[in-house]
Amino acid sequence: MPMTDAPATALRILMIDDESRILRALKALLREHTTFATTNPLEAAALAKQHDVDVVICDQRMPEKAGVDVLRDIKETHPRALRILLTGYSDLKAVLGSVNEGEVYRFVNKPWNNTELRDLVTGAGKIAREAPVIARDTLPQAEHDRARTQVGVLVIEDDTAVQQRLREILQPYYKVNFANNAERALQIMEQNETGVVISETEAGRSDLTGLLKALKLHHPHIATVVVTERANAQTAIELINEGQVYRMLIKPVRMGTCRLSVDSAIGRYWQLKQNPQAARRYTAAKPAPEGGSSALRLPAALLNRIRSLPGRLLGNARA
Amino acid sequence: MLLIIVIVLVVACAALGVALAQQRRQNLVLRAGQAETEAELKHLQASQSQVIHTTKLASLGQMVAGVAHEINTPLGFVKSNVEVVGDLLDDYRKLVKQYDAAVQVCLQPVDLIFNADKASLDKLVKHVEEARRKLFEARTAVEKSPLLKDAKELLGDASEGLAQLSSLVVNLKGFSRVDRDGMDTMDLNEGIESALMIAQHQLRDRVKVVKHLQPLPKVRCMPSQMNQVFLNLITNAAQAIDGDGTLTVDSRVDGGQVQVDISDTGCGIADDVLPKIFDPFFTTKPVGEGTGLGLSIVHKIVKGHGGTIKVRTTPRKGTTFTVSLPVNVSGPAAAESA
Ligand SMILES: Nc1ncnc2c1ncn2[C@@H]1O[C@H](COP(=O)(O)OP(=O)(O)OP(=O)(O)O)[C@@H](O)[C@H]1O
Ligand SMILES: [Mg+2]
Repeated sequence: MPMTDAPATALRILMIDDESRILRALKALLREHTTFATTNPLEAAALAKQHDVDVVICDQRMPEKAGVDVLRDIKETHPRALRILLTGYSDLKAVLGSVNEGEVYRFVNKPWNNTELRDLVTGAGKIAREAPVIARDTLPQAEHDRARTQVGVLVIEDDTAVQQRLREILQPYYKVNFANNAERALQIMEQNETGVVISETEAGRSDLTGLLKALKLHHPHIATVVVTERANAQTAIELINEGQVYRMLIKPVRMGTCRLSVDSAIGRYWQLKQNPQAARRYTAAKPAPEGGSSALRLPAALLNRIRSLPGRLLGNARA
Repeated sequence: MLLIIVIVLVVACAALGVALAQQRRQNLVLRAGQAETEAELKHLQASQSQVIHTTKLASLGQMVAGVAHEINTPLGFVKSNVEVVGDLLDDYRKLVKQYDAAVQVCLQPVDLIFNADKASLDKLVKHVEEARRKLFEARTAVEKSPLLKDAKELLGDASEGLAQLSSLVVNLKGFSRVDRDGMDTMDLNEGIESALMIAQHQLRDRVKVVKHLQPLPKVRCMPSQMNQVFLNLITNAAQAIDGDGTLTVDSRVDGGQVQVDISDTGCGIADDVLPKIFDPFFTTKPVGEGTGLGLSIVHKIVKGHGGTIKVRTTPRKGTTFTVSLPVNVSGPAAAESA
């Protein structure tokens, strides 16, 4: 029901799902906004541009085209819109694709919670309208060279073999530091400007995802690249929603992918530093309060140190 | 998950190969040692049924993925719609309240009229005009409101969604016989329906499904295995169709046989491939997509039930697999395996 007299606060939202009843349900749920819906993923990118939409909500499993691919295309042609993947079942491949290619803002499972989804869309739309866009993460060569000599890359990894491998890949090009655990990682971040954090999800049998989430919550312009062996779809989804990870790579690390990811992560950080308002596009969701697996189980002391990491070392933006 | 399964399969395959080689050697060197050979054979059979078991798990994973999606999609819109309809009704109640208020305003002059002096009569007329206008507006708002129509549409969707969910549950019940590995009597049409539902996410909108299912007498069989047969054949058919196509499933009774045809309008099978399709681990699909076990399992199960399987194929036109089972099976050998 595209309203002709929609108030200025009404967002323009594009929805794509091969089940038309999902579209009708979303339309009714988001009736205070102007919605555009299609069951044909092939026409999604054109619609997004044509109607200059603020938010895109897309299903993952569709016969003509996967949601991740739809969102990747929209990211290219209409980067201003924030992208939400709404799916009934998510295999790891889809989740990884949604981070690495679609750069989704949130990953939402069906059946969704109405209030949460409505709030999510409203928040996303506000950000899409207000926050400037960083269209490309790749920097011009000269600027990139300047960035990589200045911006610290921190690797959190306790497996010495992997550390060694990452050292070989990264040392020649970047200012790299290594940490075995969260404590050491924070020490490094307190002393060096750190723009990119490359991290396992676990070190020394303790969980690192809480650290990554807290870091993103308070310092959204840092780009995190998760390199993991223990990939599972659920953790990955949490790392997207609550950690806004920049890239997620599965071990063994390959030189090419790793370099590419770190290069563009540096580009992302560098541009956010100059354009702090854009960081709002990458804000992480506050973890679910009721605890569960997604709560930030971090000691208060550590959390405080993360919160008070000096701004000068982290660009000037603050969450 | 898939990786683990593949690894398990590879290990099982290697174990088979090793066991086979060992067995050959033993046969040559020690013809008299028959007891030992028999033991090896047992071992071999055991690992073969192990392979069947892991493949069952593979399709279980596939099934979970498909079913989760099939359930969560209707659940998504049913849940949302029911809540939204509540909100719409609240909005509608507001309209009715406004209408009520307008009616009240209209009734006021009736009281006023009794002690109206000439001076206030003018005011009264104005009031009545204004009240009429308001009443008219409120009534139009109620009449023109799309709220009830929208609510009805959303509830219509919700009830279709619920129907979808309950048929899923019925089909899943059919499939959950996976847990009960024993012999039972079964209407093969139900197995076909269950398998079609499980394979739904591979067919969805791309492959048209045509069913000609005639009433069948119940067959004594292992239902979980028959479900597996249909699922494997349907999966192959779906995979053989590149883009749009049709999957046709026929069932009938012919003499003492129950027959099921599963036909696709897919790529067909080339002459040089045809003789190998029932071989374990033979596949033309890329690594990770096919294990090449599907048809060997189908073959083993059907034979175990005293039935037969036939293929008719025309390259680039399509393929039909026909499974025939005797109506009265007596204790199939298959009951031992898996
Ligand atoms: N309906 C069909 N149309 C065309 N080719 C088929 C069909 N069914 C089977 N085949 C051919 O037979 C081969 C063996 O099939 P089978 O089901 O045993 O293994 P698969 O499908 O390759 O792998 P898996 O079933 O383990 O996923 C297939 O790779 C394919 O080449
Ligand atoms: Mg197969």
